[in-house]
Amino acid sequence: MAVESTFIRITPAQLRWRRFKEGVGLIFSSPTAVLGLAIVLIWVFIAIFAPYLTQYTPYEQDYKNVNKGPSPQHILGTDHLGRDVWARVAFGARTILLLAPISVGVAFLLGMILGLPAGYFGGWVDEVVMRILDSIMAFPTILLYMIIISAVGASPVNVVIAIAIGGAPGIARLIRALTLDIRTREYIAAARLRGDRPVHIMFREILPNCRGPLIVDLLLRIGYAAFYIGTLGFLGLGLPPPTPDWGGMVQEGHKFMTTNVWPVLSATVAIVTLVVGLNLFADGLREETMRYQ
Amino acid sequence: MKEEPILSVQNLAIAYKTRKGFIQAVRDVSFEIMPGENLGLVGESGCGKSTVAYSLVGFLGRNGRITNGRIIFKGQDMQSLDEKSLRELRGAHIAMVYQEPMSSLNPTMRIGRQLAEALAAHADLPADEIRRRCIKALEDVYMPEPESILVRYPHQLSGGQQQRVCIAMAMLNQPELLIMDEPTTALDVTVEAAVLDLVAELQEKFRTATLYISHNLGVIARVADKVGVMYAGELVELAPTAQIYSHPLHPYTVGLMRCLPDVDAPRGTRELHPIPGRVPSPAEVPAGCIFAPRCEYAAPECSEGRPSFEEITPGHFSRCWRAREWLETPLWTKKPAQSSTYVCAKPAAEEPILKVEDVRTYYPVPFTSVRSLIGLEKRRYVRAVDGVSLSVDCGYTLGIVGESGCGKSSLARTIVGLEAPTGGKMEFLGIDISDEPVERRRREVIRHLQMVFQNPDGTLNPSYTVGDQIAMSLKRFRVVPADEVYGRVVQLLEAVKLNETYYYRLPRQLSGGEKQRVGIARAIASNPKMVICDEPVSALDVSVQAAVLTLLQEIQQEYQTAMILISHDLSSVRFFSDYVAVMYLGKIVEYGQVEEIFSPPSHPYTAALLAAVPRPDPTLKQEFIRLSGEIPSPVNPPAGCRFHTRCPYKIGEICEREEPPARRMSMDHIIYCHLPADTLHAIHPVIRRSA
Amino acid sequence: MARYIIRRLFTMVITMLVVSIVIFAVVEIAPGNVARNILGAYATPEQEKSMENQLGLDRPVATRYISWLFGSDWQAERKIGRPLKEIVIQQGIVERFRQWWAVDEDGSLVRWGIQDGQLYKYIRQPDGSTVGVPDEGAWRTDESGIQYFWGVDNANRAALWIKGQGGVEYRYEYSGWRKSENAPVDYIPLTKGLLRGDAGVSLRYRAPVSELIASRLKNSGILAALAFLVSIPLGLLLGLLAGLNEGKPADRILSLFGLVTTASPDFATGIFLIMIFSLWLKVLPGATVFASQTAILDNPKMLVLPVLTASLVEMGYILRITRASVVEVVQSNYVRTAVLKGLSRTQVVLRHVLRNSLLAPITVIMLHVNWLIGGLVVVESVFGYPGLGNFILNAALYKDVYAIEAASMFLILLAVGTQLIADIIYSFLNPRVRYA
Repeated sequence: MAVESTFIRITPAQLRWRRFKEGVGLIFSSPTAVLGLAIVLIWVFIAIFAPYLTQYTPYEQDYKNVNKGPSPQHILGTDHLGRDVWARVAFGARTILLLAPISVGVAFLLGMILGLPAGYFGGWVDEVVMRILDSIMAFPTILLYMIIISAVGASPVNVVIAIAIGGAPGIARLIRALTLDIRTREYIAAARLRGDRPVHIMFREILPNCRGPLIVDLLLRIGYAAFYIGTLGFLGLGLPPPTPDWGGMVQEGHKFMTTNVWPVLSATVAIVTLVVGLNLFADGLREETMRYQ
Repeated sequence: MKEEPILSVQNLAIAYKTRKGFIQAVRDVSFEIMPGENLGLVGESGCGKSTVAYSLVGFLGRNGRITNGRIIFKGQDMQSLDEKSLRELRGAHIAMVYQEPMSSLNPTMRIGRQLAEALAAHADLPADEIRRRCIKALEDVYMPEPESILVRYPHQLSGGQQQRVCIAMAMLNQPELLIMDEPTTALDVTVEAAVLDLVAELQEKFRTATLYISHNLGVIARVADKVGVMYAGELVELAPTAQIYSHPLHPYTVGLMRCLPDVDAPRGTRELHPIPGRVPSPAEVPAGCIFAPRCEYAAPECSEGRPSFEEITPGHFSRCWRAREWLETPLWTKKPAQSSTYVCAKPAAEEPILKVEDVRTYYPVPFTSVRSLIGLEKRRYVRAVDGVSLSVDCGYTLGIVGESGCGKSSLARTIVGLEAPTGGKMEFLGIDISDEPVERRRREVIRHLQMVFQNPDGTLNPSYTVGDQIAMSLKRFRVVPADEVYGRVVQLLEAVKLNETYYYRLPRQLSGGEKQRVGIARAIASNPKMVICDEPVSALDVSVQAAVLTLLQEIQQEYQTAMILISHDLSSVRFFSDYVAVMYLGKIVEYGQVEEIFSPPSHPYTAALLAAVPRPDPTLKQEFIRLSGEIPSPVNPPAGCRFHTRCPYKIGEICEREEPPARRMSMDHIIYCHLPADTLHAIHPVIRRSA
Repeated sequence: MARYIIRRLFTMVITMLVVSIVIFAVVEIAPGNVARNILGAYATPEQEKSMENQLGLDRPVATRYISWLFGSDWQAERKIGRPLKEIVIQQGIVERFRQWWAVDEDGSLVRWGIQDGQLYKYIRQPDGSTVGVPDEGAWRTDESGIQYFWGVDNANRAALWIKGQGGVEYRYEYSGWRKSENAPVDYIPLTKGLLRGDAGVSLRYRAPVSELIASRLKNSGILAALAFLVSIPLGLLLGLLAGLNEGKPADRILSLFGLVTTASPDFATGIFLIMIFSLWLKVLPGATVFASQTAILDNPKMLVLPVLTASLVEMGYILRITRASVVEVVQSNYVRTAVLKGLSRTQVVLRHVLRNSLLAPITVIMLHVNWLIGGLVVVESVFGYPGLGNFILNAALYKDVYAIEAASMFLILLAVGTQLIADIIYSFLNPRVRYA
């Protein structure tokens, strides 16, 4: 048989590098994704280098300058306790950029544990899991968070738990749907015909092939998580003060908006740009993968 | 007086815009269609047939555009038309029938409205006249009860009926040109035959010029007056049908014909000659003759200049540098069938490797009503396999044929343990495997009973390299010590005509045929005693099919593996099998040695199947044994003989009431039918060679 | 179809059951307590204990859950030995009171109380007044010789008195604290239970939850209805426009608009709108302060910003779904068939694209009610709008368990109900499901 003469033998390492390059290429072929990624990276940069980018800590109070607009000392002004708004925004980025991915990670673990068996085994396993998920999903997400947080109290861990519980059903359903599709593929039958155990099939044969849609979904969900972390903060259910938290800043500044819009404006702009950036990134990536297929 | 062509395509070139720039999908295509003429366009997938078709109606999508050439329809240059005049042509003067009837009909609109709209768009007619014409059109395509069809939705019709509706819709305005894009590809062979009959009949009746697109040379031979062969975006040969089949003047055309298994050739009388390599993608067309890299007649000069499309003899065009040579030394003529030297000697005393007795596989039907949900209704089942008994001997091949839904795949999946049987007994290597899904079978059983799958895109896990997937089987079954795994994988790759360089490739870097080869390598990795091949070539292009079939045959001979070949294609079954079982609605209707199946006496269904196969030989005049009606639902199969609802030889009530008896025609040959033996002897597909 | 309905209903019942249990449990394990919330930070432990006792909060959580779900009157009846009856007293047109009475042997309605150390029976007269008679004979004696009596007190509770051993009761009344000796030592607050139509009494407002919810529900309903009215037609229309012009500038702008509005948290959208219309342009009020909570339509100007905020988010979402669906349908084979039949673009869009591409958005909109409710909580909080969302938020912060329970049950009912409706609408639009 004719084998392509141009073919060069490649090693596993080269293969991985090639795959990585393909992934990066995918991002860069979509202007939307690049724009989103840029916005997100700016916030990541601010979060990492927050101490070097600010003159004040987010807790320092300047009693002489309370609720002031921008000035050379405070580029975004001060809040009602005289704290530097820019410092609070910059350190607030740390909070949200840490909590959002962690909560999505936990949600992914939960979703995977529920979704894979439900999709693979079907039958009563599926029925039970789906009914549980339906129950959680029939409940308005915000209400769920509100009840969980108001019950267990506001702390970073609790916010992560609440958002993970709220997000897990969606991920589980996605994984289940993908599994339902993939398990009918012939390579799954082939795996069974060499005596692979169900756990092996689920994690080694099915899960890697959920990769594409799953990555896009998780990215979107990090956006949602940031969205909800902000919202919880705004409702007074986020991180306990004085932690710098964008949602909390809006809530505190809300009352003083007529005199000083800067804390509210800065925090709002921050959360909107971050969430929109994450969404743009995920959306661009999704369109690109769809085109790719 | 010379007649004007309805359609004249001159030097047509079409390009698609992609991220990487324009890709030339079609180059330099010229042909004419005369009034009442049927031009068949044939070629493998991706060679630009459909692109040409859609360019004729100005529907190339946003990315496609005509870069060169002219399309002249009834003296009018199509490219000069504005959107409005184009719209007036579409549907009224040029109509189209598509490959997938189901998705081509609007799922939320009743058939009646969809038909009426095609009329109303072009003529101002009163409602009752529209209705009358719609009913007439449905009658013309032999739809039973056309009035009731009008109020139905597409999903309430079978695939064959949907295609009839599409044809009726296309014929409503009595177009001058009808374009049919693979209209029967998605249909079963008996349904296909009926649709082909219909196409031929309509053509006779309305004298509509037709462009008929198909990848199947047999279908084209049946319907076309003139045949164009396309390869990689170019028309390589164009000639009257009789001539192209008897004296082809392009090596590609010959290649296509030589790689087809012949349903009329007894086993062992023919070899398949696959075309090496694969169709180049439009982005990387070779310089010179596009077919040169795959052409066994290629001379050095072939890869230099591009040959032009020349009229070699009147009406016969070819795009080959050496076309004139083939006039002197014909490339290929159909050899008369030799007498078969093939003997199927059944080993005398040896126990069969696989014994299947009265196996049934039912799938529960999902509950649809409240009553059934709370247990008031009896659970209903799809009786996919309903009492099948057979046996396979060591080293022999059993072919199982039948149309889609007859249960042949379910049977295969049941035997390997992917589905649990509802009842019956199965024995493999003397071990009872009746009740065990594959997860509970002994490793030895699993190891010796492997499978090759149908769909090349699904057969390999996209996340792992080719080598890893084959190695996995070797490691599971400890076929060789760990340090020899790599070497063994390479051996296996070579056994399926691939090589070491494929080890670290990912499945998406392979072509369909290559994936299928890897699938075969994986199946034979554990040195199984038996391999079940479920439609191993049906998703492949014809040139690749031949290669894979030949490979399977070689492997069987080399390893002495027993095989079951599941297929809807009678020609590959005849080419490959020692024994054949014909299935219909979950039951075997005929079983015997391969040549016994393909010659009388025959079960009426086998005969109908055989007669329905379109032969790539226009001189054969086929008379189709028409099967009436639709395949009944396997949820509620007919009582008595399951075939009685469609059987043209039905003798009476006994067929409806009683299970047909097993009539033993010879030592191995069994026909399940109520007909007396001499009648069975008289049944055979009516094929005459026209004068 | 029936299968779906049954499944949904089943899911709904299970969900409500599970959620109600979870809420009880969660509120139970939560730090902080209701009594302190009611009494304020300076209450003494005795006062807290008394308050918990009166509210029945010292009973086991399982008992309280059962009382909430099935009622407590039958538990109390067993102790009292007489049937109990709840009557509704109408005062004027709107004010209604519910009162629990025991039914005496002669059929009259009675309650009890301690007056001057003596047990009194108060008999209800037809005009609503009561006549008290001493009822010392009603005391019962247990094995250890203690005289006790289970009866109904005048605050809708079953109460246990022990002779000569009065409890201390702190009552929080309009006048302030009142300490009373001779008070009962144990209480069972009387309720019919949710399953019998009694959602209980709010711990915070001391008023029936159902009535508290009803007035706020109306306000939220108006807000949601207006938001839907604005966002659905606009979202569908813009989505259709974007989808039909896929890849063109109009589509890009609309898609970006949809993405930004859906991605921005509701509170951020609200804040931006306040900044623009209230602080900067000064054309609209930035908060909703209504003269009466029942008359929010009297000042429509105040509704503009909340409605706009809720609509923007919703509209962006509908736009995106519709667009995606339209794009898919436009590329389908049957639209190709329609075009090649020679239909005009308008005909193709109206007859073939529209209906098929609305299938997805309609179901999604209905499933999105949950999201809208979440949005309402936030929007109401931003604008101080007196709606259900705000009510739930406050109830959650206050640990007003019966209010949370009732509101949650209602929301689940709403969410599942709309999902059901979505299924039915879908089946009408999609003959494949209807005839399946």
